Amino acid sequence: MDDLKKEVPITEHKMSVEEVCRKYQTDIVQGLTNAKAAEFLLRDGPNALTPPPTTPEWVKFCRQLFGGFSILLWIGAILCFLAYAIQAATEDDPAGDNLYLGIVLTAVVIITGCFSYFQEAKSSKIMESFKNMVPQQALVIREGEKVQINAEEVVAGDLIEVKGGDRIPADIRVVSAHGCKVDNSSLTGESEPQSRSPDCTHDNPLETRNVAFFSTNCVEGTARGIVICTGDRTVMGRIATLTSGLETGKTPIAKEIEHFIHIITGVAVFLGVTFFILAIILGYSWLEAVIFLIGIIVANVPEGLLATVTVCLTLTAKRMAKKNCLVKNLEAVETLGSTSTICSDKTGTLTQNRMTVAHMWFDNQIHEADTTEDQSGASFDKSSVTWLSLARVAALCNRAQFKAGQDSLPILKRDVAGDASESALLKCIELSCGSVRVMRDKNKKVAEIPFNSTNKYQLSVHETEDPNDNRYLLVMKGAPERILDRCSTILLQGKEQPMDEEMKEAFQNAYMELGGLGERVLGFCHVLLPEDQYPKGFAFDTDDVNFQTDNLCFVGLMSMIDPPRAAVPDAVGKCRSAGIKVIMVTGDHPITAKAIAKGVGIISEGNETVEDIAARLNIPVSQVNPRDAKACVIHGTDLKDLSQEQMDDILRNHTEIVFARTSPQQKLIIVEGCQRLGAIVAVTGDGVNDSPALKKADIGVAMGISGSDVSKQAADMILLDDNFASIVTGVEEGRLIFDNLKKSIAYTLTSNIPEITPFLLFIMVNIPLPLGTITILCIDLGTDMVPAISLAYEAAESDIMKRQPRNPFRDKLVNERLISIAYGQIGMIQALGGFFSYFVILAENGFLPSVLVGIRLDWDDRSVNDLEDSYGQQWTYEQRKIVEFTCHTAFFVSIVVVQWADVIICKTRRNSVFQQGMKNKILIFGLFEETALAAFLSYCPGMDVALRMYPLKPTWWFCAFPYSFLIFVYDEIRKLLIRRNPGGWVEKETYY
Amino acid sequence: MSSSPQQPNPEPGPEPIPEETKEEAKEEVKPEMKEGKNGETEEEKKEEEKEETKVEKEEDKKEESKKEKKDSWKDFIYNPRTGEFMGRTASSWGLILLFYLVFYGFLTAMFCLTMWVMLQTLDENVPRRQDRVANPGLVVRPHAAEISFNRSDLTNYNEYTRQLHELLQRYNDSIQEQNDLCMVGEYTEQDEEPIKKVCQFKRSMLRECSGLSDTSFGFAEGKPCIIIKMNRVIGLKPRGDPYINCTVKRDSPLQMQYFPPEGRLDKMFFPYYGKKTHPDYVQPVVAVQLLLTKEDYNIEQTIECKVEGSDLRNNDDRDKFLGRVIFRVKVSE
Repeated sequence: MDDLKKEVPITEHKMSVEEVCRKYQTDIVQGLTNAKAAEFLLRDGPNALTPPPTTPEWVKFCRQLFGGFSILLWIGAILCFLAYAIQAATEDDPAGDNLYLGIVLTAVVIITGCFSYFQEAKSSKIMESFKNMVPQQALVIREGEKVQINAEEVVAGDLIEVKGGDRIPADIRVVSAHGCKVDNSSLTGESEPQSRSPDCTHDNPLETRNVAFFSTNCVEGTARGIVICTGDRTVMGRIATLTSGLETGKTPIAKEIEHFIHIITGVAVFLGVTFFILAIILGYSWLEAVIFLIGIIVANVPEGLLATVTVCLTLTAKRMAKKNCLVKNLEAVETLGSTSTICSDKTGTLTQNRMTVAHMWFDNQIHEADTTEDQSGASFDKSSVTWLSLARVAALCNRAQFKAGQDSLPILKRDVAGDASESALLKCIELSCGSVRVMRDKNKKVAEIPFNSTNKYQLSVHETEDPNDNRYLLVMKGAPERILDRCSTILLQGKEQPMDEEMKEAFQNAYMELGGLGERVLGFCHVLLPEDQYPKGFAFDTDDVNFQTDNLCFVGLMSMIDPPRAAVPDAVGKCRSAGIKVIMVTGDHPITAKAIAKGVGIISEGNETVEDIAARLNIPVSQVNPRDAKACVIHGTDLKDLSQEQMDDILRNHTEIVFARTSPQQKLIIVEGCQRLGAIVAVTGDGVNDSPALKKADIGVAMGISGSDVSKQAADMILLDDNFASIVTGVEEGRLIFDNLKKSIAYTLTSNIPEITPFLLFIMVNIPLPLGTITILCIDLGTDMVPAISLAYEAAESDIMKRQPRNPFRDKLVNERLISIAYGQIGMIQALGGFFSYFVILAENGFLPSVLVGIRLDWDDRSVNDLEDSYGQQWTYEQRKIVEFTCHTAFFVSIVVVQWADVIICKTRRNSVFQQGMKNKILIFGLFEETALAAFLSYCPGMDVALRMYPLKPTWWFCAFPYSFLIFVYDEIRKLLIRRNPGGWVEKETYY
Repeated sequence: MSSSPQQPNPEPGPEPIPEETKEEAKEEVKPEMKEGKNGETEEEKKEEEKEETKVEKEEDKKEESKKEKKDSWKDFIYNPRTGEFMGRTASSWGLILLFYLVFYGFLTAMFCLTMWVMLQTLDENVPRRQDRVANPGLVVRPHAAEISFNRSDLTNYNEYTRQLHELLQRYNDSIQEQNDLCMVGEYTEQDEEPIKKVCQFKRSMLRECSGLSDTSFGFAEGKPCIIIKMNRVIGLKPRGDPYINCTVKRDSPLQMQYFPPEGRLDKMFFPYYGKKTHPDYVQPVVAVQLLLTKEDYNIEQTIECKVEGSDLRNNDDRDKFLGRVIFRVKVSE
């Protein structure tokens, strides 16, 4: 694994072609022999990436069944069966409660497990639809013959040919190339196509021109090369292997749930052991005490919470999917909310991944072009004659053209055949001057010299529009300084003027300025060839140039950039105000990276890097105190030499960081660095180069449209619209669900106390059991469910995007304050409400509280059929049991009544309900639903047999009302105190 | 949480420590950074130094973390620096305990108040709801899962006869003679009277089963007396003429003798007015003597007794003791 983290060990780029041939026992002309090829294929295996070890479905299912929260329920279920086994072994007629409880717990775990399993299976199905299953072909030369074979059969040493539009089938050492350009964006993140030639231009194999990489695309031209690596040994393969080998940590929510389980188990064991000891002291037998112990521990298990949490997360995942965030792993829903650092890739995530003309310089003025996706930006003055000339040059000296059949699409969405900058020019001209095709038809091309790296220009000769004008128009574009050298005049306001020093300086300034913006600048010039020298029909020879290519007239500059997406600056701003540090990590050049970073606000206005300060103060970089610079741009090669401490120092002390020219391994190191500092890191990216970082991140966010399969597999979340702004939605939803889960848990846990206390009093003071197992289950899995889930729909109390991300060490999902409130305060009031109705029913039936204490032994004795009440009446076992079950029902209904107040107070943690309002319709529905369910369970005929629940007298519904009211008033006062005294005692002790 | 800056943080325990170490680390890193950028000539030396410092640091860190781990446990229980016990200072514990004391005190008061109000609404003579005891249950004495005894062994059935004697204590003629004679076959209704009279039920009415002449209640002869009593229910007035009828669950009938004759439960003993106003009330009982013969010995007899001749329910599916009772008897010699 560590080996994979190191940089690529390719050395072939430094070897001569002959050496490479020797190494791979191949021939530069003939290629491999078929026998050798077969031998190598056998030795190295097929040229394909080993798919990441897919977890078998049953393992995934088991993970759902036994992961996280389920463990708690399983332990509960096992304890129940154990208790039942003890009872069955020692008693003749064991009560079935423990058995039923065990079965129900098991059922709950299995059902929720299935639910979340299918939920995840659904999103992985969407994932699979992304996969591109078209088999790749490769053109290889074997024994001197060109053969088309399946890319999987390519072996090291094969001589292969690629042409524009092909996917490169393996890592190849280029031996010859003709205008070959490759798009390495999926590997390096660099959006510009790069030319490929046989010469070694850089020590770094990733930078050198003579190596083309597996699964990158050849954009144009042709090349021939020798395969040096295949399959998993390719650069891409190494990254993929690195990615699938990375261990990912637990999601923050999983950690929170673990912490929660610790707390709950702690409370359960504490209560259980305390009452175990008490039971022993009170004279119960060991076995009875053990059964009580188990009973108390199990009663602490919130049966419904697993389902509630799962449903809440699912609801949020659905809501996010609607907003174009597809969540692969349910637990990742919350992770974005806890995120404190986002490492974002540039190309395609922050930018549109489309070269666009951004600026133009003509008439000695820089004009800004509209780069927005929907052309909503400001436009420039198009009336100038110079502009018309510039547009004409750009349109004519341009080989790009729209692919056919796209007339109905908006211009910017159309597909273009041609390289990125020509496409940008084409679109720009098409947008501002109308159809380029018409223009080209009017100005027929007579000759053309395509761009090459020695000339650094491209020119073409055209007839003019005016049929009476027989002169030829020569148009040229290329590297600005080269163009300038060929010009003697410059077009200003439509008039040709001599190029003087002043204009040259103006040109230099403009060129520097545009270059400084990270833009690619092209110069344009033209000339009308004199008719006397070049009459109509003149034969232009482009190989042996027989016409004038200097003393031209400079027209202007146009600069292009892959512009940021419109929504990104806003989104970055939102992230920043939400306390999230946005780091740009890109494979692109530092200047471009910095320009985009400034454009989208990753480096905010007014913040300088060390280099900026040095430039401003005119002192060497080494004299600048690094602390003064909040922003910094770090080059990948510098990153390589940094020690861990230096890395930490950079991450800690700079708020605005851009990493440029980073390799996939370095991206991984950056993510690890952030995590080491305690940050919860989100990584966005689309390329294969991002995938190790995506996997290592706490949450990896891949791009759904432009993203590569490897990156999507490594990610936890997929942005279906490739828009960084969707992340903000994700953060917002994540934070909201964290808050709302707290509320849900507070609500659900509260009813634990009125569920446990009856059993405790039953043991301690020997009263008839006030609340039975069945009724407890009816609360946990019945009436409490919808209100608890409805809290997931609760609106945020304040602007959650204005606060800092939570500190994973301090801000816990469930903390002691929540337990204190839920168990110690609200739960206690609820228990009293329940007990009150219990005592009311018994008293009204003749059993006053005074006779109840100690009555349990006779009460539960089946053979005692003449138990006397306070009035002297005598009761059979069955008669008093009906009263007891009526009490259970009433206790149950009372819990429903007090839970009304509980759900209303749980809506908010700080605000008053009157501030928050009752706008949550699901919650209102939940209130009615739980009441209706309680009424149904109590009054439906047959319930006395099925669940042993009995109809209540209407007045018994009102017993718990005062307590419900008390809960509401108490909590409103508590929240009022929290708001009045921020940081005060009440907040410190009760704000959860 | 936004805590106001004026307030001193009462829990400064574990937090400052990492900050200190952080600063140290920063200071150590700083010079390295500068030096690293200065020149390449000295790089080799620097690297050596770096490695050394690294090793040292790592060792330090390990030791520190070990110490911290030990400390954190001890500190949690008692932190001598801050005086925290279990994560709270004494005053913090005091405050929270005081809060819960006051809170639970208030809750207790509120609970007592509601209970008191509720108890005030109750009638002290008649319970508010009687729908669950509309029909009385039947009970047998002696109380046992199976009445099984050896008739020739006194100690064997002593417990049973003791129970019967105890039950009939209140029916002793000496006590019952103080009670009133009531109209046979009519309810003794006395709703208005403040002090309710009690109808006489003399033990001697049970004759052979009274335990007076035969203190063994027939157990010694192998013809045991079983006493069946009907549960007291306030205000119950059975219609018709209720009587107890017992049947044995076997093919041939068993001879039984009822006391009072025909197992009648006379209407004059109804209604009952409750413990408070009717303290000396005795409910009517019926004794059944099972005239078992030698052939019946050592065989378990299952006998079911029911209230018949009235509107009292005796056939409830659920409640096997409502207006009926089943018991088993096994006599051996």
